[in-house]
Amino acid sequence: MEYDVVIVGSGPAGSVTARFAAEAGAKVLVIERRREVGVPVLCGEGISRKIDKWHMLEGTRWIAGRMDGARIYSPDRTCVTLSAERAGNETGYVVYRDIFDQELARLAMKAGAKFMMNTKATGLIKDKEKIKGVKAKHFDDDFEIKADIVVGADGVESKVGQWAGIDTTLKPKDLETCCQYTLSNIDCKDAYCDFYLGREIAPGGYVWVFPKGKDVANVGIGILASLSESGLAKKLLDRFIEKDPRLKNAEPLRFLAGAVPVSNPVETVRDNFILIGDAARHVDPITGGGLTHCLEGGKIAGETIGRAIKEQNFSKGLLNTYEEGWKNAFGQKIERNYIVKEIMLDMDDKTFNMIAHSLKDIKFDEISTLGLVKEVAKRHPTLMVKLLPLLKYRKKFKEMKSK
Amino acid sequence: MAKPKAKVDETKCLACGGCISVCPQDALSMCGGKAYVTANKCISCAICIKTCPVGAIGEEGC
Repeated sequence: MEYDVVIVGSGPAGSVTARFAAEAGAKVLVIERRREVGVPVLCGEGISRKIDKWHMLEGTRWIAGRMDGARIYSPDRTCVTLSAERAGNETGYVVYRDIFDQELARLAMKAGAKFMMNTKATGLIKDKEKIKGVKAKHFDDDFEIKADIVVGADGVESKVGQWAGIDTTLKPKDLETCCQYTLSNIDCKDAYCDFYLGREIAPGGYVWVFPKGKDVANVGIGILASLSESGLAKKLLDRFIEKDPRLKNAEPLRFLAGAVPVSNPVETVRDNFILIGDAARHVDPITGGGLTHCLEGGKIAGETIGRAIKEQNFSKGLLNTYEEGWKNAFGQKIERNYIVKEIMLDMDDKTFNMIAHSLKDIKFDEISTLGLVKEVAKRHPTLMVKLLPLLKYRKKFKEMKSK
Repeated sequence: MAKPKAKVDETKCLACGGCISVCPQDALSMCGGKAYVTANKCISCAICIKTCPVGAIGEEGC
């Protein structure tokens, strides 16, 4: 079996890369260990509406709800509102991730990419150190797929990156361990994504309530693995649901677990090799959101692969176009927000309450973590000391840019 | 006596992959849609046990 590119994993990053590589003329194969694209869902299913302008999805079947804004609740339940009329533009969707993923896969297939389900990657084909393809297993058949480029899109538990010599192991302080119910029989009066912070509620993370229509919502929790104990995420989520009057009559339609990397990104290219999506740790360390990065990064990866195939040059040097591309698109944001995550971890509930009190009446121009951080810095000069690492990063970044 | 190794309860595992990503010894992998511990790589550090959101990993023999 021989292809130009073999992509391990049919999540959003894998499918978008497949699509743009195929559109650029590459012969693409996607292998997926599961039996259905997008299933089981392992996600809170929130995404920014900025994907609209990328036109990577067709129709509206993948949309469960359009959000008017977001509300962040501090430990004493002081609410900071980021609303659509205040923000004017960028809020979000709650999506059906299974349909969302299948739409992206369908468009990749339409562009000419081939998909194989029930096919697990078991290793890389290497000639000395040179990567030559993927070893795989389809039911009982072991076989080899030769390819000029291998793409690791195998998610948070990525093995392909390790096989290519990139250390993707996460420290417990860089992983959010999550679980979520999809609950029916609840009252979602308005289309707001709600976030609840607090050491007692979700240590090192938050509880979310994302409505999927009038009486259904995803209610989930993410806590930092370094602050977790066996089964703690589920225990805390059950406690939250029990105490919330809106969820009094709730019944579960679905229960799922998830894991979200909240680390700095890793290296993403080697000769004949690219790493994308959660496998590349392309997740916002504050929100845990990664879908937009999968789409944006996948497009850059696919286009870079197209160029590599045309020029028949699969070196790290050429594939570096992808690494530079994602660093420009969202890499700096991830690095900056990683610093903010570390700062926030140091803050106690009292500080969060104090910040929320001072922000609760502000009209935010944009719904972004940066906007929030700027306001905090303006209103709490004493907290500026804590924000010093951020200023250092900005300085370093400006120097890098001027070079 | 050696410390007990980690063991996945397949009836509880929801295949989120969190334990695999934090294992410092690469001792965990996905096998048949569930997390699986390769016992001879496990160093009994219990990071995976603490990480599991639903308490699906325990010590062997428990």
